Order: sequence, then C-alpha cells, then structure tokens
Amino acid sequence: MYAYDPYDKEIVNTRVEEFRDQVNRRLSGELTEEEFRPLRLMNGLYLQLHAYMLRVAIPYGTLSSVQMRRLALIARKYDKGYGHFTTRQNIQYNWPKLVDTPDILLDLADVEMHAIQTSGNCIRNVTTDQFSGATADEIADPRPYAELIRQWSTFHPEFSFLPRKFKIAITGAPSDRAAVKWHDIGLVVRKNDAGDIGFEVLVGGGMGRTPVIAKTIRDFIPEADLLGYLEAILRVYNEQGRRDNKYKARIKILVEALGSDTFADLVEKEWQTTRHHPIDVPEAEIKRIEAFFAPPPLEVLPEQDPAVDELAANNFLFHAFLKNNVRPHKVPGHVNVTISLKPHGGIPGDATDAQMDLVADLADTYSLGEIRVSHEQNLILPHVARRDLPELYEALSRSGLGTANVGLISDIIACPGLDYCALANARSIPIAQNLAKRFDDITRLQDIGELKVKISGCINSCGHHHAGHIGILGVDRKGEEVYQLLLGGSGAEDASKAQILGPGFDENGIVDAVETVVAVYLGERQDGEKFLETYRRIGADPFKEAVYEAH
Amino acid sequence: MAKKPVGPQMILANCLREGRALFFGRDGAWHAEPALADVAEGDGLDALMAKARAFADANNVIDPVFIPAEQKDDHYYPAHIKHVMQAKGPSVRPDLGYQVSPDWERR
Ligand code: SF4
Repeated sequence: MYAYDPYDKEIVNTRVEEFRDQVNRRLSGELTEEEFRPLRLMNGLYLQLHAYMLRVAIPYGTLSSVQMRRLALIARKYDKGYGHFTTRQNIQYNWPKLVDTPDILLDLADVEMHAIQTSGNCIRNVTTDQFSGATADEIADPRPYAELIRQWSTFHPEFSFLPRKFKIAITGAPSDRAAVKWHDIGLVVRKNDAGDIGFEVLVGGGMGRTPVIAKTIRDFIPEADLLGYLEAILRVYNEQGRRDNKYKARIKILVEALGSDTFADLVEKEWQTTRHHPIDVPEAEIKRIEAFFAPPPLEVLPEQDPAVDELAANNFLFHAFLKNNVRPHKVPGHVNVTISLKPHGGIPGDATDAQMDLVADLADTYSLGEIRVSHEQNLILPHVARRDLPELYEALSRSGLGTANVGLISDIIACPGLDYCALANARSIPIAQNLAKRFDDITRLQDIGELKVKISGCINSCGHHHAGHIGILGVDRKGEEVYQLLLGGSGAEDASKAQILGPGFDENGIVDAVETVVAVYLGERQDGEKFLETYRRIGADPFKEAVYEAH
Repeated sequence: MAKKPVGPQMILANCLREGRALFFGRDGAWHAEPALADVAEGDGLDALMAKARAFADANNVIDPVFIPAEQKDDHYYPAHIKHVMQAKGPSVRPDLGYQVSPDWERR
C-alpha cells in the first residue's frame, strides 16, 4: 500500500490547520456562510438534511487495517457509530458537528487520509477495480497509476475550478469492475504488440440527467505519456466545456457536442504541442510508487482444502458464501473475499464502528492487513488463504457480515436518497430494504443468479440506476415519491444504458414490479442465461406487458 | 425576482454548529419541533423572513428558507416529505434524529 512521503504529509497537515482556522473564523462570525461554504466543500463537508456530512476519500478504494480502525474510531467518537461506504469507494459520515471537523481531519491525516477534493469542480478520487493486484485476469495492477494520477491531480492549480466535477476510473483487467465507461475519463490497461504497457483512453461517460457511455479516443497511450495525455484532455475540457449551464457542463456534453473524433483531434493537437515539454515523473518516483504495490508475499498453497470442502458440503450458507462471495486470487490457494454490506433489511453500504473494527482485525489475521472498498458498496479482503475460509466465515457471520449475496438481486446499490440527502426526490434505502426482504430466500436468490439492482434517489444518479440490470429512479410527483423502473443497463465492459420501462410506481408497487420482471426472466431464460442476456435477447416488451398488465 | 411562495409557509434553517434542521418559532427562537413554528402567507411572508434572518444572524443559524406548511389538528407541520424527513430524522434509522426527541442531540 502507498505510504505518504514528507511532502504528502505536509500538504495534508497544512490543509487541516488551514481548515481549523476557517472553521474558527466561521464560528466567530468573521466569515459569512457564503464565504465559508466553498471552503468547507473543498474539505468534503456538505450540509445535508439532518446534519453536516463529511465525505472522506479512500484513494482507489484501498485501505489498511490501521486506516479502517481509524474510520471506526471517527464513527464512534464524532459520529453516530456508523459510516456509509459509497459508490465512489469513499466513506461518508452523516452526523459530524462543524466544530469537530478539524479534529476529524487531523485524525484522518494521522493515518494518511483526508477529505480533499471529495467535492467541488475538481478531479475527484480516482476509482478502480476492487480486486486490483489480487486477480489473475489483470494485465497490470492499476493502483500505481491511480496513485500517480492522485498525486498529479491533488491541488492541480489549473484543474481546481473546472466547469464541473471530474471523475477518472481505471481498470487493469479486461473484465471491467470499475465501470470505466461511465466516467469522465476511463482508462483500461492494455499491452501493445511489443508487450509494452499503456492505456486505452475513453472519454465522456457519465450518468446524471444525460447518461452517456464513454467513447474511446485513443486505443493506446504509452505508460510514460499518461499524465501528459490526461492533461491535454483536461485542458481541452477546461477551455471549451460549458460554464453557463451546470447541467451541460460535464465533459460528456462537450464530447457529444463536438463529436468524439473532433474532441480526440483537439486533444491530440494539444498533446502534440505540449508533449515536447512532458510531465517528467522521475523514474525513481515511479519506482518508489510501484514498490508500494509490489505483489503480496503469499506462499503458493493447494487449490483445494478438505476442511473447506467438508464445511461446504454440510453447511448450505457457507456453500453459498463460497459460491457468491469468494473468487480466485492470482496466487494459487488464495482467494478474494467480498464482505457484503447488504444484509437483508439493512442499509446498503452502512457499517457500524464495531463492524469496521472487526474487518480491520480480520484483515490483519487473514489478508495482510489490507481491505478494499468496491463501488458496489461492499468491502473486500483481497488476500485470504483458502484454508482460512471456514474461520473467517464464522467470524463474519457472528457479526452480521456473512450475507452470501454478492452479485445477486439483494446485493443492491442504493444511494442515501431522501433519508439523508438534501438533493433527493425520493428515498432509496427503504426500496432496497423491501426488495432484499422480498427476495430473502438464498435458494431463490441463487436460482435467479447474477442480477444487479441499482437505486438512485434523484437524477444525479449516485446509485448508478442507468447502469443497473434493473435500475430504479426515485422522482417527486407533486410531493409523492414515485419510482421509475429501468431495465437493461450495465456498468461492466459491455456497458449499456438502462431504458425506462413505462410509468412509475409507488413504494410498494415498485417492489411488485421488480418481482414481475424477475418472473418474466425466469420464464423466458434459456439454459444458463443471465438476466441481462435474456433481456438483450427478448427485449423490453415481454417485461413491459407483464408489469403493466399486472397493474 | 423570485416568485413568492403560495399558501402557508414556515421557515426552516440549519444550525451552524451541528447542521440540524430548525424551525423559526412563534416565540422568535429556533426550535427542532415544527409544531412551534411560526406560519405566514401572502403579505406576511416578508416580515416573517426579516424577523427570522435577524434571529438567524444572532443565533448562528444558516440558510433560512420558506417551506410549505399544512395544518393538522391545532398545529402546522411541513407539507413536503423532504421537510417532514428533516423534522423527524431518517426514516430508516428511527433510533436517530429528532424523531427520538426534540433534544435528542443533547442526550
Ligand atoms: S442520487 Fe440524488 S438522492 Fe441519491 S445521493 Fe445522489 S444526489 Fe442524493
């Protein structure tokens, strides 16, 4: 894992003290709210429905056990004993007091964390595959590049006031688990014919009120040119992106308006002009960063373990856990374990301080002290020996963390919605809870198979409903919460935009409608077909007929 | 010029220190309980907001805004679900927020 150098430490600590001064000046009345608001937002501090909300960056979703314990401590000491892991691999605290926030930031800085650039029109936390560095299907671990981008983009003076916020995602594997095509810039690690590492560059993806899937503007940019090329993209966007209308200010609107070929030409031109003055990252610095992400020192172990097999044969829930939450590691005899933060009836993405502490302890015991956060709002222990699974499962289950539903219909992404969020039109969480309760039976869940449900409480789409196999969008119809049903989206390498099926439903109707959709799928699916495959084969009509006939 | 809100309105704001939602009361103070809120409509709105702003500045309360109110029994309450939520606390955490008690924060 990356460790701060003295420079990182200094800028983060300086920012904490600067913010402490700003908070004091606000509390004394020296700063007005208008003056203070942009300053608090630059430090990730929002004002939501019930309280302030602090969004803390988890760079590329990687945490050490020490950091996780600190997140637990903050939840306990300054908040209400829990935190919410988000679709951007961050954590949000829902109840911090303004007066405490400088101390929270100091506690975070102490473990090399911060809340900088988690708000505002700047380059936000870079996100990536939660299995990076621990999966056999990747070409290269994307985290050293994500870290390089983090360093380049943090406090980048030219890109601190972009037309709108800017999100970069990177994957090192052809299986896209980071939804790169839904980002302002998506990077896919590629190897060229000569065997050199580089990146396919996609631009202009995004959700919100205008969902767009990113387009490739360069098939291969060599590793050494990555930052220069990113800078060229950002510069073109910064100069030409619209600032007159915030709904048209994201890069996706610019790319659509110009056409991706023209946009690519502009970037190329900009890059050719500046590449003679490249952003020289010293070789030593690259090596220094890479060293932090060296492959974990894991011993090769047998692929099978008799104790695991025996428990799986005798314990149905462990069998399901093995099937759904566990996947192979690149080192034989090891696995990645996904800890579901979607207990049936629970709040997607929420974890208590005690659960965070437990995950930290389990990471120390079983996963070299490392934890990941996925954009699907789950936690991952990336480096677990297969033989340790029975013990690990037992410990997780005892604490409500053993739900064996990863990738299944109850593993729902849901944004905070109207229960917390000041921008929301409708609640998301109760819909997720009711759906999970409706599909509570693990046998039924497994029979349905992979099915990604994603729920947003407003068109800002933090719950990724556009990319849901089943997407749900909460809207406000004359003060009533109404839910639109969308089908056929994907956030993976086969990215697609979900389409609205028809008129919306109330809180109960939407759960019934999803059940009808599932029934149509089960009736129509052919051998081994997943929900999305069936939907793509038969189209929306059979679903539409069944759903609206029933209402 | 912004359009004047229609119908009975109360004023909702946030406490600077904690961020909690507060209603401007008939007694000129800020309260967590919407039942204590002062209500005005039409020509009375400007005066109510002027009074609330003066008290906001003095009490470290931020962003006062009108929200629609509706009468139930003897009192007015927020009409829109968003403001009902603010008055109560998250529906998915009945153990948190003002729904527990008005002075929940201080317990
Ligand atoms: S999608 Fe809307 S309701 Fe949900 S968290 Fe984002 S802004 Fe809030």
